Amino acid sequence: MLLYLVRRLLYVIPIGLAVSAICFSLVFLAPGDPLSAVLPADASLELIEKLKADYGFDRPIPVQFGKWVARAVQGDLGISIATGRPVNSELARAISNTFVLAFFACSFGFTLGLVLGFIAGYWNGTWLDKVVTSLAVAGVSVPHYWLGMVLVIIFSVFFNWLPATGMGAGGSSEWAWDWEHLQFVILPAVTLSVIPTAIITRTVRALVADILSREFVTALIAKGLSDRGVFWHVVKNAAPTALAVMGIQLGYLLGGSILVETVFAWPGTGFLLSVAIFQRDLPLLQGTILFLALFFVFLNLLVDMVQTLLDPRIRRT
Amino acid sequence: MHTMKLLAGAFAAAQLLAPPLASAQSVLRIGMTAADVPATTSQPDSGFEGNRFTGITLFDGLTQWDLSSADKPSVIIPGLAESWTIDAKDNTKWIFRLRKGAKFHDGTDVNADAVVFNFDKVLKKDAPQYDAKLVAQTTPRMPTVMGARKIDDLTVEVQTSEPDSFVPINLTNLFIASPAAWAKTKNWAEFAKSPVGSGPWKFVRLVPRERLELEKNTGYWDAKRVPKTDRVVLIPMPDASTRVNALLSGQLDWIEAAPPDAVAQLKSRGFEITSNPYPHTWPWQLSHVPGHPTADIRVRQAMNLAINRDEIVKLLGGYAAPAKGAVPPGHPWWGNPKFDIKYDPDQAKKLLAEAGYGPGKPLKVKVQISQSGSGQMLPLPMNELMQQQLKQVGIEVEFDVLVWESLFNNWRIGAKDPKSNGAHAINVSFATQDPFFAFARFYDSRMVAPRSVNWGWIQDPQFDKLVADARGTFGGKERDAALGRLHAYAVEQSSFLFVVHDTGPRAISKRVTGYVQAKNWFQDLTPIVMK
Amino acid sequence: MSAAAVDVREAASAAPAAQFAPTQGYWRSVFSRLMRDKVTVICALVILALILMAVFAPWIAPEDPLKGSVMKRLRPIGSEGYPLGSDELGRDMLSRLIFGARLSLVMGIVPVLCALGIGGLLGITAGFHGGRVNTAIMRTVDVFYAFPSVLLAVAISGALGAGITNAILSLTIVFIPPIARVAESVTTQVRALDYVEAARASGAGNFTIIRVHILGNVMGPVFVYATSLLSVCMILAAGLSFLGLGTKPPLPEWGLMLNTLRTAIFQNPWVAALPGLMIFLVSFCFNLLSDGVRSAMDVTR
Repeated sequence: MLLYLVRRLLYVIPIGLAVSAICFSLVFLAPGDPLSAVLPADASLELIEKLKADYGFDRPIPVQFGKWVARAVQGDLGISIATGRPVNSELARAISNTFVLAFFACSFGFTLGLVLGFIAGYWNGTWLDKVVTSLAVAGVSVPHYWLGMVLVIIFSVFFNWLPATGMGAGGSSEWAWDWEHLQFVILPAVTLSVIPTAIITRTVRALVADILSREFVTALIAKGLSDRGVFWHVVKNAAPTALAVMGIQLGYLLGGSILVETVFAWPGTGFLLSVAIFQRDLPLLQGTILFLALFFVFLNLLVDMVQTLLDPRIRRT
Repeated sequence: MHTMKLLAGAFAAAQLLAPPLASAQSVLRIGMTAADVPATTSQPDSGFEGNRFTGITLFDGLTQWDLSSADKPSVIIPGLAESWTIDAKDNTKWIFRLRKGAKFHDGTDVNADAVVFNFDKVLKKDAPQYDAKLVAQTTPRMPTVMGARKIDDLTVEVQTSEPDSFVPINLTNLFIASPAAWAKTKNWAEFAKSPVGSGPWKFVRLVPRERLELEKNTGYWDAKRVPKTDRVVLIPMPDASTRVNALLSGQLDWIEAAPPDAVAQLKSRGFEITSNPYPHTWPWQLSHVPGHPTADIRVRQAMNLAINRDEIVKLLGGYAAPAKGAVPPGHPWWGNPKFDIKYDPDQAKKLLAEAGYGPGKPLKVKVQISQSGSGQMLPLPMNELMQQQLKQVGIEVEFDVLVWESLFNNWRIGAKDPKSNGAHAINVSFATQDPFFAFARFYDSRMVAPRSVNWGWIQDPQFDKLVADARGTFGGKERDAALGRLHAYAVEQSSFLFVVHDTGPRAISKRVTGYVQAKNWFQDLTPIVMK
Repeated sequence: MSAAAVDVREAASAAPAAQFAPTQGYWRSVFSRLMRDKVTVICALVILALILMAVFAPWIAPEDPLKGSVMKRLRPIGSEGYPLGSDELGRDMLSRLIFGARLSLVMGIVPVLCALGIGGLLGITAGFHGGRVNTAIMRTVDVFYAFPSVLLAVAISGALGAGITNAILSLTIVFIPPIARVAESVTTQVRALDYVEAARASGAGNFTIIRVHILGNVMGPVFVYATSLLSVCMILAAGLSFLGLGTKPPLPEWGLMLNTLRTAIFQNPWVAALPGLMIFLVSFCFNLLSDGVRSAMDVTR
């Protein structure tokens, strides 16, 4: 098991490098000169050369990549072309904002998913199961950006119960864990949690139904195992897979928040990404994607390791 | 202090959920259309919305617009300069006498050295404070200004490349920043993190991409314009429906460019819609680059005749006026053009046929447009409607949709630049309050990239002569007449596809009182009182 | 475990095992089981109807989807001449929704088909050859797999710029890795089967083995898996257009329509919500359909 864990850990290095290479190569997919959108119209040739040198665009591509990775490893992701501010500082604020959103979306989605999944699995085949299952299919089928719009129409426009957009009057810099600020997170978090909720519901339902249908469990129940005992048995057996799915869902949530953050003007990584795309701010684009992708790689690693520790029988490659 | 801000900020947002909290500080929260807080380097980006919110708030120019009247067209009044004269012997030299006692927010004096320092930041290439990013936002708006020199502590001489009667108007675009504040880091990007000017509002803090907070400058040199509100919070919100949502749910007190579709809802919820025609034109600027179909005057005129402007005004809920040129008939610069811009699809088809286009050979036009932006109104639906209308006369339009900031940059590189993707037109709305902005920069053959925004590469000696005449005429009436001749020729040439003039709809909460919507791109926030 | 899901990874982990040596009788029983599953049949019919609607849009749609009158903009649902209202430029919503099915379905289906071809080929090659070829292909696939799907789609589309082709390209790239993984794992299982080994021993060429034994066994499960991606692809494709990275105006496409109608949510919220409802409907049906096909093919049931 230790050997497996070490191998799994080492495997992250080539993957991480390759992921960085893809992020880096996005520059070359982009049509046109990345500096074009921001160079002053009357920039002299010397200035253009100087800016290119500042951004390192005058070097051969492998050298550029090497330097980029070397700097990225040290935590320096370059300077945003559009704003002239370090990508790091732009990213840091956005990450903390996205984490706030993800925290609520996960807390809400995971809890609801676990409860619903357990109910559906426990009363497998009943009408309750059917309702929950249908809801879960609807949950994975709904375009969440549309759902966000509908929630805004209902809760902000019609009833004026909840604020529609943003992170509060003070922006992210004055975020506090009180109701004045928390009300802003409700609609985006609920919207963002729909898919994970549905997926966790489906996973847990299948796990619970499967465990309960195993012969030795039915035998135990027949022998008079208490409800509590059954419950713990199910939890123990379902936990590794459920945890793994939740971990992966957290990654998707972060990577996929762009649409929801756009609808709600939530100043997180997704919002930053869409700004970077439309301003053709490539250092910012690369930096944001690199962070999200590496975070996802890391999360996968963590999930594998936790799962291995919880249930040594599992060997994922 | 911190708590106070929180309370004040949360007031409106929480009004339906929690009992209203008393606030000691009055705060005005504005939703801008820009995608980011405009640069606070003293020379804002994001077009005139930038000047509106991070220019004239924090800084002063030597001259400024009088924004105190909602009825009269705004005029140039003294700013940091008390008065100015042109050198009688040499019409390329202007003498500006500075106001005594004006101070920057850091307490240092606004004197001739400070003013020259700010001219040098964009004009003197070897000055340490020279910065290419600032240059891009400034020199295209004052193209004849060559430099400035100190005569004495309160007198500055400005040198121009040619006699130019527009200089006092152009200089509203050069904002005077504190040299002492710059000297702390010798870097404008750092300066932008806590900018220091002499304007009616002082910088409090900036959260990039989220908000800019300003507070009143109680020591402002013009006692009449000391702000009556304690704080202003400016929030970038490029998406129109996001702005409306935020206003409806009480996160804002004021939004720029209220979308016409939301007006009914906003009114029914007690918000006020203010609007006032101002010198603005929403056009397609057409390429005159040889080889482009729009280089043919018949095509340009046909395009002008193919647009049903009444429908566009209707689309905008009435918050616009049909354009017959860069300025409306009756304006001092109107000049009675012989070509009448109106909706006449039959004539348009005829002109196109003469130019060699028809059902067998449709005319294809590529246009660069933005998704949002200062003065751009509702760019996507308006352009889509024009696309439909042009299709009726056989013109097929393809769009290149950019973000506002990128479109603005593309405007400066001109139609010939490969980065323009071969576009035949660009949709950048512009101000017509200043003759340089309204005319000179578009038609003067020298104003092509990289100097200014003669985007379409117009190289017409007749235009050059008319522009030079207007520039060199220093008397008011005579200059208007010269500008009228220039405008008439521009309309006859149909160098633009003129569409509408904006009326600047803003949606404002009932708590905002004292606001006077000037007939101008810029608006004064100082008289506003929050109830 | 039910396997249609909005995230490719969850779907991949639930990929079906190979159905070994399916016979004609097997397919017949799958079909008859499908026919008995009412939900699946209804979903299939809805999808079929939508495809027919898209194909015959010019004959079905009452109006030109590009032509409108600003005088008649944002009419509510059920107004005269506009059964589903009109959009922000006064174009008939019904017609635009009908025509919108064309691009929306193309953008929802084509990437999966392309990825099925490319990813299937890569996976089968990797699984059949094993060894270094397998390592080379599958490790490359792993790298793309390391990106959350939405992020990868947005990143590639964002770098390439808006446009239908670019959106289809980026979605194809997103779906190749999961399909390749499933194809590889099924092929590896099949290759190890006795009768395939026997065929190899008897001197059958690689091509014959792949054609006769592998394809027959592998394509079923891979295809079923691919159907579970259709719903994800619909949502992602419309999402790209919603962000402004897919279709460009004035083309009718549901994601873009949803975006341009956003400012109308005050005046006419239900008209503004219609395009999203269509995306939801299609994606919902694809999900149920894929569930149905999967359980019909699951012989152990």
